[in-house]
Amino acid sequence: MLDSAGVLITTIDALTIRAPAIVAAAAKQLGSIKLQLFFGDRSEAELFADNSSLIVRRDPSDESYRVQVHFDDRSLMLLFDSAEKPSAEALEKSLDMRGSREDLLATWRCFSLLSQRASGLRSVQAIWSAYRDQVGDAAWRPDADGGDTQTEEMPRWPALAWLNDRYPAAQELLSGNDPVLVPARSLWNGRDAGSWQAAPDVFDNDLMATLDRCKDRVVDEILRLLPHKQPKRDLYDLMRDYVVREGKGLRPTLVIATCVALGGRMEDGVRAAAALEMFHNGFLVHDDIADESTHRRGKPTLHMEHGIGLAVNAGDAMHLFAVDMTLSNLETLGLSRTLGIIHEILFMCRETVEGQAIELGWIHRNFVPRRDADYARMSTKKTGWYTCISPCRIGAAAAGVTDPEQLDKFNEAFRLIGIAFQIQDDVLNLVGETEVYGKEALGDLLEGKRTVMMIHLFRNTTPEIVERMREINSFPRIDKPFALAEEMLAAMEGAGSIDYASKLAQKLAYQGVDRFEKDLAFIPENPAKAVLRQVANYVTTRNL
Amino acid sequence: MASFSYRGGISAEPLGLGPAGPFPRAPLVDPIDRRWLHYAFLSRDGRRAMVANSAWLGPAEDEPPGTERFTTILLLHDREGGWSSSQFNADTARPPWSAFALPHAHGVPGELKIAASDNNPSVALNLKRTGRPCTSQCAFFAGDQHLRWQSEPGIAATGTWNDDGGKSQVDLIGYHERVRGRWSWPALGEWVFGFANDMSGDPENPPEWAGVFTFIRPSADPGEATASFMLWNKGRMRRHFPRRNVSFAVRGELERNDVTLTPPLAGLLGVAPMAGVPKRLAITATQGDDWVVLDFNADAAARVVIPSETSFHAFSVHEVVGDCILSGSVGGEKFSVTTRGIVEFSGGADAG
Repeated sequence: MLDSAGVLITTIDALTIRAPAIVAAAAKQLGSIKLQLFFGDRSEAELFADNSSLIVRRDPSDESYRVQVHFDDRSLMLLFDSAEKPSAEALEKSLDMRGSREDLLATWRCFSLLSQRASGLRSVQAIWSAYRDQVGDAAWRPDADGGDTQTEEMPRWPALAWLNDRYPAAQELLSGNDPVLVPARSLWNGRDAGSWQAAPDVFDNDLMATLDRCKDRVVDEILRLLPHKQPKRDLYDLMRDYVVREGKGLRPTLVIATCVALGGRMEDGVRAAAALEMFHNGFLVHDDIADESTHRRGKPTLHMEHGIGLAVNAGDAMHLFAVDMTLSNLETLGLSRTLGIIHEILFMCRETVEGQAIELGWIHRNFVPRRDADYARMSTKKTGWYTCISPCRIGAAAAGVTDPEQLDKFNEAFRLIGIAFQIQDDVLNLVGETEVYGKEALGDLLEGKRTVMMIHLFRNTTPEIVERMREINSFPRIDKPFALAEEMLAAMEGAGSIDYASKLAQKLAYQGVDRFEKDLAFIPENPAKAVLRQVANYVTTRNL
Repeated sequence: MASFSYRGGISAEPLGLGPAGPFPRAPLVDPIDRRWLHYAFLSRDGRRAMVANSAWLGPAEDEPPGTERFTTILLLHDREGGWSSSQFNADTARPPWSAFALPHAHGVPGELKIAASDNNPSVALNLKRTGRPCTSQCAFFAGDQHLRWQSEPGIAATGTWNDDGGKSQVDLIGYHERVRGRWSWPALGEWVFGFANDMSGDPENPPEWAGVFTFIRPSADPGEATASFMLWNKGRMRRHFPRRNVSFAVRGELERNDVTLTPPLAGLLGVAPMAGVPKRLAITATQGDDWVVLDFNADAAARVVIPSETSFHAFSVHEVVGDCILSGSVGGEKFSVTTRGIVEFSGGADAG
């Protein structure tokens, strides 16, 4: 059973992963203001911003609060519902806020942002619904006499309002499986006609749900386009099994969101995203063989499960079908957009193999570069293009944008975000849990991957330790005991390399978000652009 | 099968003197001249749904005027077994049953037999009118194109049903419609059609309440949209809520796994994907003191892919089944019916 402080903590935790851009915006409103919160059930909490994150803790401890807020259950519920104006909520013994006028307004803006978004998330609704059941609902209803309810004799509402506000919307909300409360769309209101096909296919309500939705749609299309024929056991089943493995869905989401943000339809981006995923999967299969990795996406790598020969062949086939899926855009998008997509994919593949060559060359020669810039160059080539930059450009091409100047506007923002994301991924490999992360713990150290942490360690430690690390790196992965990886991890911790990498990732992420707002101002504000913004902010609020 | 297969000429035979129906005796002269007879039924236990369409299409470019093509498709849906579909070459009794073929005695059963070429799926039904049709409706668009239709809910049907689950006897109630006109699929744009019958009550009598709705949105000028909601009570059309008095809205999306591509051959032709089918459809209508709300919640759909004569993209008709609430107030009489309905979400030929 949660108390009020617990509900708030759970809500902000959920928003941090599902709506990072909103948390970042709320944190920006709050700035340096520190809040002390008192609730009707006598629980207490403190709330403050840490860069783009919101930190909420129980039992305030210091005295540096600039705003104090007293909620009872009624005002807390009304705030969550955004049901009343602040003046109507601020009743005696219900809601009381103390602080300077500017601070109070900033606090209210922060609360409004959070409550607007939280009320659109089914998972958060469920938390608050349970809390309401717990505290009883009579106390908080905004209008006890029901007012404008279904008992009305002569309804004048349009179908849109019926779906959004009336029976059985509430039932649907609580019983449905959809994690996002999708707003209804009007087809006809007596004057204006809309298309039933024109679904705003991507919403920024819940980033996790959007990532899942885009990934599922693209996986579905890949499975549809793969042939149902022999040899199944040694080829097509391997490919199908690999494609449906857990993944974040970042690339499909970027392709589709960019396509929709620039005026295309979700379906326009699906096959291009499918092609991209197939290229990516092919690279991963081969990459895992080259790196001698044992796990990928929470399961054994393909070559560990089926042997190197079949895995190499399946990887080749993935690339072949990626070409096929690229060409399948001809029948849905026409020649010019498909050529644009082909151009982008070719460039992406070239950058990726060049980046891979640089890193494998470093490992082969047991070389560790001294500068972060060398890492940034390699990382941009190896993963930056295919993880972040190219998906956006491909999505834009699917929407019919082929002007190089416009396409280039995606580059810098998503280059920075991509590097930040990669560094965070590398940090997670060292400090994250295998179940959550999907790859084997310390796998990067076992394979001798040149990360920012390793580069920092080599730059900031004694010559003796450098020599020892070089020796560890010289072991082939298959002969490298796990203890050596742990020894290198300890050295990195000793040299502050992991903290350094985390901070560098944060810095790059902020720069990326900044460039996102500046460079992509030419895209009009719409739900799909908001999804891109959520992805950009994902790296700034991600818990490492 | 030979007893009712349609192996003769593809023109409908004259049924007698005068406009005996179901269509005027006028040849189809343009490649986009069309007419069809539509059947949609739901079993009274809510478990099954049947949709069938017999269509005539005008001559191809190099054929003489009056040459007609005839196709029939049959779709059967079982809540447990899913959809079974024929190709467009289903055999049907000739001429196909129609409430609009005269003379047509009221309450007297007529025969409707439709079967896929391998007899799976197939139906052999006795159809009986229990009510009256609406007045003829017409939508004009794209300058010189039009679609004219007339609908009749409350058609009762009993007979044999054959799908993957085997043969069984069924008791259905549904909807029949005749459509004719001249239109190309890209110009037509898209439509939302559908109906709901009150399935409770005495099967010998017309449904207490029934609704039929239409929304056509031509692609070139959405301002030419047509919309209406027609409400039947005890077999007679009681209210026609016209264009300005109705509103349509949708929400959510049916799981793609719940949408089946038909006819079976369409899966081999690399048909481009379509937008997701809406999960919920709400229609509200008001006129004077009368009002009605239809709230439909989809649970399965079949996407029927129809080749388009004038565009690269196919036209798709999604036959969607689901639960439905029909409630309202007419002349001071309030009603609320929980039932099943069938909705068509169509479009796609104007894509890209």
